[in-house]
Amino acid sequence: MNNLSRRSFVSFALASTSLLAMPAISTGSARPKVVVVGGGAGGATAARYIAKDSKGAIDVTLIEASKHYYTCFYSNLYLGGFRDYDSIGHSYDNLSANHGVNVVHDWAISVDSSARKVRLGSGATVSYDRLVLSPGIDIKYDSIDGYSVEAQTKMPHAWKSGTQVKVLRDQVLNMPKGGTFAMVPPPNPYRCPPGPYERISMVAHILKEKNPTAKIVVIDPKNKFSKQGLFMAGWEKHYPGMVEWIDNDTHGGIKNVNPETMEIETDLDTFKADVACVVPAQRAGAIAMNAGVTDGDWSPIVPASMQTKADSNIYVLGDASVASAMPKSGFSANSQAKVAANHIRGELTDSRVFPAKFSNTCWSLVATNDGIKVGANYKAGEEKIEVVDKFVSKTDEGNAKRKKTYEESIGWYNGITTDMFS
Amino acid sequence: MVNIVFKFFIAISCLLIFRGLVAEPLLDGADFDYGEYLSGQCLTCHQNSSDEGIPAINGAEALYIAKKLILYKNKELENEVMQLVAGALDKEQIASLAIYFNSLEK
Ligand SMILES: Cc1cc2nc3c(=O)[nH]c(=O)nc-3n(C[C@H](O)[C@H](O)[C@H](O)COP(=O)(O)OP(=O)(O)OC[C@H]3O[C@@H](n4cnc5c(N)ncnc54)[C@H](O)[C@@H]3O)c2cc1C
Repeated sequence: MNNLSRRSFVSFALASTSLLAMPAISTGSARPKVVVVGGGAGGATAARYIAKDSKGAIDVTLIEASKHYYTCFYSNLYLGGFRDYDSIGHSYDNLSANHGVNVVHDWAISVDSSARKVRLGSGATVSYDRLVLSPGIDIKYDSIDGYSVEAQTKMPHAWKSGTQVKVLRDQVLNMPKGGTFAMVPPPNPYRCPPGPYERISMVAHILKEKNPTAKIVVIDPKNKFSKQGLFMAGWEKHYPGMVEWIDNDTHGGIKNVNPETMEIETDLDTFKADVACVVPAQRAGAIAMNAGVTDGDWSPIVPASMQTKADSNIYVLGDASVASAMPKSGFSANSQAKVAANHIRGELTDSRVFPAKFSNTCWSLVATNDGIKVGANYKAGEEKIEVVDKFVSKTDEGNAKRKKTYEESIGWYNGITTDMFS
Repeated sequence: MVNIVFKFFIAISCLLIFRGLVAEPLLDGADFDYGEYLSGQCLTCHQNSSDEGIPAINGAEALYIAKKLILYKNKELENEVMQLVAGALDKEQIASLAIYFNSLEK
């Protein structure tokens, strides 16, 4: 008997005895059930808030494939040598110990939305009253000719939680003297808009110290990018002459990549790299597609609640959703999770539902003690999540301010990971 | 000594305000449940466990929190993130957050 069916067997047994002895006592199985798929920035936060704030009135099951969550946020700082790998790993133990979340480490394979059941890799099924999907992204391997699942060890994307970023760091550290690091950022829309450019900064930081004659070439499928002025000024200041960014209009489009020869072919030229980080296009995690709540690559949502437009019993959070003006970030996913948690509690336990409020700030590190940030807050419009107000760091800020911004990002990292996992 | 007397005075007034015995216009309309919901936005960054980079605010005096938020809202204190967050809060929301964070253990 697997865990889930053993649990339901026990509660069934309890229910039968209590029915005979004390019919008035309600058992665990009478509580409304929320199933959360994906224990990342959106899912872990949603599971924790629903369990914590409903004080046991809602039965929360979190289905997460991995035993540990290694954050993509700060993985660039690991790459640059500012953090060790263990410091970006987090366990799910507190969610069960402190809030009674039933954490199941397995893959959710399919969703039967009419029967309101999720099927797991083990074969077990879990039923729900409300389902929250926060599966993050899947990589569209076929979006770049020549790229594939196999290619990712030669040309890692390192764009999902896990050990690929370790492979990439080893490759950068072992690059031949005076070699070339090539980066192919993804096309819009994608997870973490400033992420590829923070990654370039962190690679430049290592190379400046260990391999100062090396070069970085960025072959971008876009003509502009997030915090562009700030990043480009930072590269010129800290790594003069090292980074060459080539926009789509200049190279004319990426035709293919070849992991064997380490070549990237564009209309303009064929670039040969010693180390290459290739990040293809992305789409919502497969389970969102399977649940039938996507339109194209992503899940349209109702801004006031994060319910999907396709099925009001299913909520989609984070990268997998179409959150309009909100970027696909950990901060956004965490913010959306709280709006959904409040709405779900209201639906299932009649607690008060407050108007949606969303926010996001993305900090990036350009060099030692040189932090920059961009942020906004948002409200739920009828059709879309809309910007209320926004800011971005200035190019002419002093060093003290930049250092403070970096220190603030450490506070944020501690904050969000506590908010997800404590 | 003056400092201790001052702190004592603040503590007593906060207690009275919290119990509704003295009216404090800055805390008018405070709604504990609303404060709990709104606190989610703060807790992405502010944690009790550490002051590193971002201050811990649990258990701070309600008036102190309300006054700080108003200063950020009016851009009289610097920090873009806080100006943004506070800028989008109305008086009732500020009061609600203030009494909610005050109720949390330090
Ligand atoms: C290099 C890089 C740097 C970044 N830096 C920042 C930053 O500084 N700040 C910021 O806010 N964001 C940053 N991000 C973005 C951030 O990581 C994502 O936006 C965020 O993780 C999205 O949260 P999510 O809940 O949608 O998905 P995730 O956090 O990816 O969580 C999804 C989880 O679901 C699990 N899962 C998926 N499908 C299933 C299934 N079928 N069954 C069971 N489990 C499943 C996965 O194992 C995973 O743990 C960065 C991203 C990258 C790549």
